[in-house]
Amino acid sequence: MRDVAIVGTGQTKHARRRTDVSQAGLVREAVDAALEDACLTFADIDSVVVASGPALFGAVNQPEKWLVDALGGHMKPVVRITSGGGTGLAGALAAMNQVSSGFVERVLVVAYDKLSEGALQYQISTLYDPFWGREFAVGIMGFAAAYWRARIDALGHTEEAAALVSVKNHRNAMRNPYAHVKKEVTVEDVLASRPLAWPIKLLDVPPISDGACAVILASEDAVPSITSTPAWIRGMAYYGEADNAANRFMLQSVPLQLAAQRVYKRAGIVNPRRQFDVAELQEPYTNFELSYYEGLGLCRSGEAADLIASGATEMEGDIPCNPSGGCMGANPIGATALIRLAEAALQVTDKAGERQVPGARTALVQAGGGWANLRGVAVVGADRN
Amino acid sequence: MDRTTSASMEMRSEGLGTTPSEHPAFAGRIELPYKLTTGRAASVFLAELASRRIVGSRCPSCARVLVPAQDFCAECGTAAEELVVVASAGSLSGFTETAAGVLGLIRLDGASTDLVHRILDAGLADLQVGQRVAARWAEEAQGSVLDIVGFAADDAPAASEEVRPLSDPSDPVIEQPYRLRLDYQHAYGPYYGRLFDEIATSRRIQGVRCPRCECVLVPPREYCDTCFVRTAEWVDVADTGVIKAFSIIHLEFVGQVREPPYIYAEIVLDGAATRLIHTVGGIEVEEAMERLHPGTAVRAVWKDGEPVGTLEDIVYFEPVFDD
Ligand SMILES: [Zn+2]
Ligand SMILES: [Zn+2]
Repeated sequence: MRDVAIVGTGQTKHARRRTDVSQAGLVREAVDAALEDACLTFADIDSVVVASGPALFGAVNQPEKWLVDALGGHMKPVVRITSGGGTGLAGALAAMNQVSSGFVERVLVVAYDKLSEGALQYQISTLYDPFWGREFAVGIMGFAAAYWRARIDALGHTEEAAALVSVKNHRNAMRNPYAHVKKEVTVEDVLASRPLAWPIKLLDVPPISDGACAVILASEDAVPSITSTPAWIRGMAYYGEADNAANRFMLQSVPLQLAAQRVYKRAGIVNPRRQFDVAELQEPYTNFELSYYEGLGLCRSGEAADLIASGATEMEGDIPCNPSGGCMGANPIGATALIRLAEAALQVTDKAGERQVPGARTALVQAGGGWANLRGVAVVGADRN
Repeated sequence: MDRTTSASMEMRSEGLGTTPSEHPAFAGRIELPYKLTTGRAASVFLAELASRRIVGSRCPSCARVLVPAQDFCAECGTAAEELVVVASAGSLSGFTETAAGVLGLIRLDGASTDLVHRILDAGLADLQVGQRVAARWAEEAQGSVLDIVGFAADDAPAASEEVRPLSDPSDPVIEQPYRLRLDYQHAYGPYYGRLFDEIATSRRIQGVRCPRCECVLVPPREYCDTCFVRTAEWVDVADTGVIKAFSIIHLEFVGQVREPPYIYAEIVLDGAATRLIHTVGGIEVEEAMERLHPGTAVRAVWKDGEPVGTLEDIVYFEPVFDD
């Protein structure tokens, strides 16, 4: 197995609605940016992985067929990956395996969703079993809110603690040129915001966005001719659990813990809080970021509220989480997890601009949506394992 | 033969028909509204149909003319930004007959790609590859590809390769409303079939027990998700249980069945080890915020009248407080 590095990243101008581009044009904007970042052209790309959410988001089935033109995919291997909210990272994992196995040298992975086109909550409700629960589904928000309410009792993940996540991520997004929500909020604003699925309130919820992200992965053999500052993928994994299995434990995400264990072992991470310089976490609602602190071992179970309150996950803290602003700045669901990976790559290569964590060399990436049963983790570093 | 198999066999012999296709199915409908963004090239193509001009885009790299106009060249991936007007006539590259009539692949004069459209006033026997056809236009333009009614052989002009630059383009059609209506006939299968038959006939909720972990799974299923072994035994579970988690829904959205505010709940029925998604009622939401907790006991409130065999035969679950 060969080592794999990120050698280029690109993002679109994310927005609530982009009427100037079709889905193909949106994807191409990110791809052009990634190719430019890597100083490569389509001719250098051996294979293409497309990652996007459920086809009902965009009303086009098999969108990878439609996008081949825009991706320079003609007569190349092209596959599409979709796997819940963390789809973007699942796409990167497929691309990484193509490279590490020796199948290809350079892969373009592009993730996107153009969520403004349709009715999001209803579309997400169709992910439920038509016989069992779909009629009562509230997208994924009802579910996510319900288990947050349970964690308030069991783990102390209070509305105030979640509000601090919202405040931090909104503030960080101010420094991210790709974020389209640029508005500072206070704890009081969050607590007083309109309840949508209590305890989830309007300011606990990221925007609905149109956006795409592209990342170019290269083998250890191909990297030297492309860049002197690669971001090495030191480990990546993606786990799932049966949605309605007996006694499913909902207070912590077991797939997240499994993915973290596996990736940490490969990357030699034994003390995540100390060894990571920065983390990019996919928080579909604020409360999830609290849960991830625990699942990823940044603190012990039940200590997330203390961790956020301590300021440790702020830009100036010892483990800054979401310097990009996370999903709060932009949330084109299928792209969101790949954006987290791209942001981590920028951090460890000192290319994150105003949102740079000084001297960051090792970054943690987490992926997964409001549904708690599919979870991904990656470690990205300036150094190889 | 284990009891699961015999249960499903029984179901088949007890009046539900003898072949799977005769079993009733659950009719599910997904009906979704969209506002699709056409993109740069297609937005002009659609707009120009009102002026009875067919717009393509020329690839600066390989010089192909793509019709309808596309943002990117299929052959080489280059952005094809130059918009041109091609002829409204061309020749047939291929054709077929479908339920929607005769469809053709039309290579318009000056185009490098084929356009799919209807062929009018002709049967398969009247057509041949290479035949000349010309666009017939709709009386009134809607900003849709159907502003061309179809292509017909009458009076089709002789071939001309002239491709003109697009002058004075109309305002682009940047959005197209679209509705996706998907009707499904979901097969119940023996497990959902028996579950909902029992609900419909006796308001009884049944699960299956896993022989290895001994958990009772509702809805019933053939294999235990965690042990990967075949489930063995049908068991009754109660229509009472406890709230595992709940939230209070204020959000309104397209496709919503209940009017907010209402209480979304995941309930574990007494005797089961899995979650049931439903609603909690019989309590005001303000009181629910105070008094409901994970672990609060609930009981099903069944709908009056004949049950139909869905989860909606339960109106909601109401809390049962000790005091
Ligand atoms: Zn070309
Ligand atoms: Zn079992």
